[in-house]
Amino acid sequence: MGQILQFGINGLMSGAIYALIAVGIVSVFKATKVVNFAHGYLIMFGAYFYFTFAVLLPGMSWAPAWYVSWEPAWLVEMKEGLPMFSPLGAVLDWLTNLPRVIIGLIGALAANAVVGLIIERVLMRPLMGQSVFAMIMVTVGLISVMSGGAQLIWTADANYVPSLAPNTPIRFTLFDTQIFLFGTDLVNAVIAVLLFGAIVAMVQFTKGGVAIRATAEDQSTAYSMGISVPRVFARAWVLASLTGAIAGAILATRNGVSPSLGLFGFSVLAIVLMGGLDSYVGVFIAALVVGVLEAMTQWKFGGDWAGIVPYVAVLLVILVRPHGLFGQKEVERI
Amino acid sequence: MLSIENIEVTYHHTVQALRGLSLEVPKGRIVTLLGTNGAGKTTTLKAASNLLRLENGEVGEGRIRFKGEDTRHIAPDMLVKKGLFHVREGRRIFAEMTVEDNLIAASYALDGRPGLKADFDKVYDFFPQLRERRKQIAGYLSGGEQQMLAFGRAMIAQPEMILMDEPSLGLAPKVVEEIFETIRRLNAEDGTTMLVVEQNAGVAFSVADYGYIMESGQIVMEGDVPTLRNDPDIQSFYLGVGGEGNVRQSFRDVKHYKRRKRWLS
Ligand SMILES: Nc1ncnc2c1ncn2[C@@H]1O[C@H](COP(=O)(O)OP(=O)(O)OP(=O)(O)O)[C@@H](O)[C@H]1O
Ligand SMILES: [Mg+2]
Repeated sequence: MGQILQFGINGLMSGAIYALIAVGIVSVFKATKVVNFAHGYLIMFGAYFYFTFAVLLPGMSWAPAWYVSWEPAWLVEMKEGLPMFSPLGAVLDWLTNLPRVIIGLIGALAANAVVGLIIERVLMRPLMGQSVFAMIMVTVGLISVMSGGAQLIWTADANYVPSLAPNTPIRFTLFDTQIFLFGTDLVNAVIAVLLFGAIVAMVQFTKGGVAIRATAEDQSTAYSMGISVPRVFARAWVLASLTGAIAGAILATRNGVSPSLGLFGFSVLAIVLMGGLDSYVGVFIAALVVGVLEAMTQWKFGGDWAGIVPYVAVLLVILVRPHGLFGQKEVERI
Repeated sequence: MLSIENIEVTYHHTVQALRGLSLEVPKGRIVTLLGTNGAGKTTTLKAASNLLRLENGEVGEGRIRFKGEDTRHIAPDMLVKKGLFHVREGRRIFAEMTVEDNLIAASYALDGRPGLKADFDKVYDFFPQLRERRKQIAGYLSGGEQQMLAFGRAMIAQPEMILMDEPSLGLAPKVVEEIFETIRRLNAEDGTTMLVVEQNAGVAFSVADYGYIMESGQIVMEGDVPTLRNDPDIQSFYLGVGGEGNVRQSFRDVKHYKRRKRWLS
């Protein structure tokens, strides 16, 4: 019995990361009606950018010492005499890396935003008003361009990138069960949920959100109302790139950096379809459900099954409800 | 205020919808544009508000000027900010958004126009039903309320000129009257210029100063409303006069019949 809670919590935490990946796909779809098949590769770029700014640049000979490893006197002093694997030690180790983490994130966000803007400006904007289908095909083409491009730019894969939060082990008791988590996983999940919530709140409650929803419903009428639809498009792509950069950094800390990160986009695309392409709430629930299902399958049947069972569930849901759990009927048209 | 000079419009580079259409809407006036289904009325308005490009339509020959400025290269959102608002055919309200959010969407038209603020109360004073339903999803409004909302969005944008596409479509006579009363008031109180597309010539003539009749992408007749009202062809075809069971004068009938057939084709 006890195990189920542990695996459930693990599942929720990875589900939250799926939600963070999904939010980029949903945002672009809502604004532009384009299903971005290349979103996983935008995430891969985010991961490589984080790797660049947090590992590669500090490794250069000209990098200042504090960037490589921040060791003010008080920190060194505190570290002394700590036993191995102590929780405080993990926090201090993370503090040493903090400049790299911060510069890594800022660099990844900025660079990925530029990539998103270039995609929107050069590839999507010229097709606006002509054919959504052509735009979707362009994103399919982008998959090869981006994965090939990444291999040209970054010749090495990386196993280690600094984690976003201290990797302190956390132990607590819930319903008489001993639960064990890594601090960094928990923080990653919290970041993902907060970002997701912030985006949903922005779309629901701000004037900018009105522009997005209006564009989502009726592009040309929104345009004729003074809403700059091209700007809404650009913002949606930037939003996808930014959340993608964070998701990429998180995935990099968990799985290392390699072109195969792009594949995450496809499983998340299935989750997005299950939730209903244009429904933030539906997609959030779907992401958590798949996360938990994955963890449970892992627990009961082992890792080989974990990659399959949840997606069988996704396919079943789509068969029964073609526009997803919470999607609008119109979505069927595309 | 708006002048359309001899425009040709094609959709998808193949379907020609307008062939050398010209019309003029002077400042402060209400002008109506009448015509049968498929004549090209909506296309004319979309050409003026630059929405054609989004539907793969294109103005080839000719020129459109708003306040003297050639509009060819002005994006739709900029055109609204310059004061030209298009109330589209079928109202096109944002059905999944609340009434209030629909109005907020229109307030984007005021961005970058210093000194102007969205006046929601003005809309709610014109249409008290909308105030009651402020927080409701617009898709659940009745047809008449949706037309009021479409009109309300135009008012929020504080335009100098409104293009209205068939505001009477599918509405009960009483609601139509209310909508046209609003058109008249907005014109009289704010001096808003109007180009009203209609199939219901009766109500259109009740507010308009001048009218154009179009057919297969061209203007076939124009004139002051009193003149048009007395034109026998228009009476029989658009106003339904003379066809109500009375014995018709014979030779005129024949002539009308010919014209009518042309309009219908
Ligand atoms: N998006 C489009 N693509 C292709 N052809 C179009 C498009 N919109 C309109 N047309 C064609 O252009 C012509 C004029 O259409 P338009 O909608 O302007 O007519 P209308 O006078 O507004 O008619 P109605 O009274 O039915 O609204 C029609 O033959 C129509 O089929
Ligand atoms: Mg029409």
